[in-house]
Amino acid sequence: MREKIFEAKDVVIKFNLRGKTLTAIRGASIDLYQGETLAIVGESGSGKSVFTKSFIGMLDKNGWVESGSMVMDGVDFSQYSTEKEWLQVRGKKIAMVFQDPMTSLNPVKTVGEQIREVITWHFGTDKEKAKQEAIELLRQVGIPDPELRYKQYPHQFSGGMRQRVVIATAIACRPRILICDEPTTALDVTVQAQILALIKRLQKELDMSVIYITHDLGVVANVADRVAVMYAGQIVEHGLANEIFKDARHPYTKALLQSLPQLGVRGHDLRSIKGSPPNLYKEIVGDAFAPRNPDAMKIDYLYEPPFFKVTDTHYAKTWLLCDKAAEYNRELELKNAVRSKEQPAPPIDFSNAEKLVQVKDLTVKFKLGRGEFKAVKNVTFDIHRGETLSLVGESGSGKTTIGKAILKICHSSGGEILYKGKPITGKLSNHEMTAFRKSAQMIFQDPMASLNERAKVEYIISEGLYNFHLFKHDSERKNKVAEAMRSVGLLPEYVTRFPHEFSGGQRQRIGIARALVVEPEFIVADEPISALDVSIRAQVINLLNQLKREKGFTYLFIAHDLSVVRFISDRIAVMYKGQMVELAESEELFAHPLHPYTNALLQAAPQPDPDVERDKQVVVYDPSIHDYSTDQPFWAEVLPGHFIWANNAELERYREQIQ
Amino acid sequence: MDTNKTPELDQLPQDLFTQAEFHEEQLEDTGFSNYSYWRSTIRTFFKSHTVKIIVALVALMAAYTIIYPMVTDLDPYTVSLSARDWNQPPSAEHLFGTDGVGRDIWARVWFGTRTSLLLSIAVAVFQVGLGVIIGALWGFYRKLDTVMFAIYNTLTNVPSTIYLVLIAYIMKPSIFTIIIALVATGWISEARWFRSRILALREVDYNIASICLKTPTRRIITKNVIPHLVSLIIMDAALTIPSSIGSEVFLSYIGVGLPADICTLGNLVNQGRSAFLVYPFQMICPTLILCFITVSFYIIGNKFADASDPKNHL
Repeated sequence: MREKIFEAKDVVIKFNLRGKTLTAIRGASIDLYQGETLAIVGESGSGKSVFTKSFIGMLDKNGWVESGSMVMDGVDFSQYSTEKEWLQVRGKKIAMVFQDPMTSLNPVKTVGEQIREVITWHFGTDKEKAKQEAIELLRQVGIPDPELRYKQYPHQFSGGMRQRVVIATAIACRPRILICDEPTTALDVTVQAQILALIKRLQKELDMSVIYITHDLGVVANVADRVAVMYAGQIVEHGLANEIFKDARHPYTKALLQSLPQLGVRGHDLRSIKGSPPNLYKEIVGDAFAPRNPDAMKIDYLYEPPFFKVTDTHYAKTWLLCDKAAEYNRELELKNAVRSKEQPAPPIDFSNAEKLVQVKDLTVKFKLGRGEFKAVKNVTFDIHRGETLSLVGESGSGKTTIGKAILKICHSSGGEILYKGKPITGKLSNHEMTAFRKSAQMIFQDPMASLNERAKVEYIISEGLYNFHLFKHDSERKNKVAEAMRSVGLLPEYVTRFPHEFSGGQRQRIGIARALVVEPEFIVADEPISALDVSIRAQVINLLNQLKREKGFTYLFIAHDLSVVRFISDRIAVMYKGQMVELAESEELFAHPLHPYTNALLQAAPQPDPDVERDKQVVVYDPSIHDYSTDQPFWAEVLPGHFIWANNAELERYREQIQ
Repeated sequence: MDTNKTPELDQLPQDLFTQAEFHEEQLEDTGFSNYSYWRSTIRTFFKSHTVKIIVALVALMAAYTIIYPMVTDLDPYTVSLSARDWNQPPSAEHLFGTDGVGRDIWARVWFGTRTSLLLSIAVAVFQVGLGVIIGALWGFYRKLDTVMFAIYNTLTNVPSTIYLVLIAYIMKPSIFTIIIALVATGWISEARWFRSRILALREVDYNIASICLKTPTRRIITKNVIPHLVSLIIMDAALTIPSSIGSEVFLSYIGVGLPADICTLGNLVNQGRSAFLVYPFQMICPTLILCFITVSFYIIGNKFADASDPKNHL
């Protein structure tokens, strides 16, 4: 075993929030060894950020460390209170990289100055020498032309480059521990892969220990040597990455791994975790996860389990590992054996079904300063009744714009959109517009922004019913609202509440109820799961699939991650910078990804399997590999139903590749 | 934390290691947050002792200005013919003394405060009300932009004093005239301010959801947008009150305000000014009340603005 460099023990952190005391961390302990990468996994509210922020004294001012110790080099700094004391730790011993690079950089100072300042501040190096060091740091984090970039401001950098600058600032004082708090959540998948590779390289070069905080199990599989799982302010299981991914023991870890959309079997529900994480205002008795665990034992409700040892490196806090639970474990195994015999349903061919939406040559332009910006360039595709078509691409690829243009929320600058065979791009009569609005609805990404905070759930869901006069008596409206609530798995009594009384997943389901109550036929789902917690995602995906089966909805599903949409989509379209580059049946796309960008996306999406992830090479898509100077590209059908944006020469090559 | 209560492992009864009942329906009832915007705003607002004291004082003062004229037997308009009663310094009988014709200044101040407060509340209601309505239309209908910006530029580029004087001069001096004059100059900045707020709210997801559901714009404004601005509206109204009292004083001072025989703070200050060098208390007393009203409403408005920001709801 390598040398232990940091140890946090039985840390309890409390917050004063609106007159109440909340226990955010309920006695969490963690060890960190020299040169290792530890990933702390948990959903929002599990306390993973708070826990690590307390290591460098950056708790919000209404929070404090109640008890416990944090020891590094024999010094316990859990009770440090002054800035001066913390400066001994921050930056030099432990440094932190935050989620959003824009908020950690000062917009009115050049990036070089910001790094130089850190160096002069901590070491008192003179200006000229510090500048040289800063340039060296920029080069080290992979920023080309560091001398030139030194003089530039943060807004002149892309998101990924900005995160590199933040990392350069963090490593400027040669910390021994680097804490990365969701460092890639705000970035695109392809950029994410590059940043992860960078952190890995720096870790080796500088011999640092790295703590990753993330909710993305794919990222964990990619980077972590050891994994700690956090739930309701406690570490519930920790062990080597392989042990956690292949042999999880805590019911929460198991459920989390099983609910991943990547592991979904087509035509079957995902394993989902019901309910939401516990309320930390209340005192939690027993195992915090028990109320959400259908297989919980009686003892889980009574006593908090201690850590049981699985191997020398793997510990889990669950009563299932107690000797006395052996018999119950056997029962569970029998039960699970029955469940795991699911066969994927064969893909359904929708090509003969009615074309519900036809998009022909759609172009959307926005004014940008004096010029124009083409958000969507000549995109053509159809959506058949009853199918789920997924649009996948990075931020800025125009996928949401297409969805909004189809729903007539956004203008279209060229081309044509037909809905049920009738053009809808022009001006519609009031009557036609009502019919269209009633039959096409949208589900939004951010459940916090998509509900009106000042209206009761009853009004939110009834909105469409009022507008389309879908009820004769008020009792009929109430019945419809109650039914909609029930079909998204919420109790009808909740309609008298305000949105803020619900959790993110519940709010997302209220948003779905609002759309489905008007009985639409077509739904644009704009990243409906990306803002949700891992344990909640499966609930929402199952709900969308169930509605598709029961009500025959047609979906345009917008996502940025290919692996997530695999099992829910019938067809997948890949977008790059406003251009649709490939469109194929879902399994076909995964079997024969042809366009280099599709390949890069597939490669970049992290898989929740450490064996796959560890040796992965980062593929960067470079659009300049296409030579379109003489041979113009076009939207071509390589195989029946498999479209690609390519020129004749490339098409030739792709055809060979398939055979 | 519970570990000290947990019995030794080998003492745990075996029957605890069996399946427990699973209550699926209860799961959704987590009561995720006890947060309520208005409750938090009000609590944050009253957290500071300054606010508690000022709100209490303002309430007392407001009550006093309503009750005092009803119960007092001192008439602020009674002129004394005996020179003995003129220009008296403050005493037990006349708390603020008397003016040059023997009228009791204490009575005059409270009658004046009543007039000025009513006037400024009326201005605040009309000015902010008009501003919200026009700002909402301006924010939602892009076509209005050209016209509204033309009006905005014209109105704001000419000093408002000129309109005030002009309107007050053309129309017969009365409380109503002052209200019209103040509202006419103030509404456009309010409208512009609300327009920018509404533009930010307009593109929020829940409004797009309402557009998808074909909710009429009027209902989007009244149900989705205005309720989010209520705290701003209150704050704005609270800040309009001191500024319109100030404007009233200014108009009276330059002689185009209310007729000199009506008690207002403006008239009192103006009349006190002429005797200031000899009898300073005649100006100082009404000015103190004026300062108190202006400063306290200003503080209330600002503290409310802070309290209504969810970032401060700790």
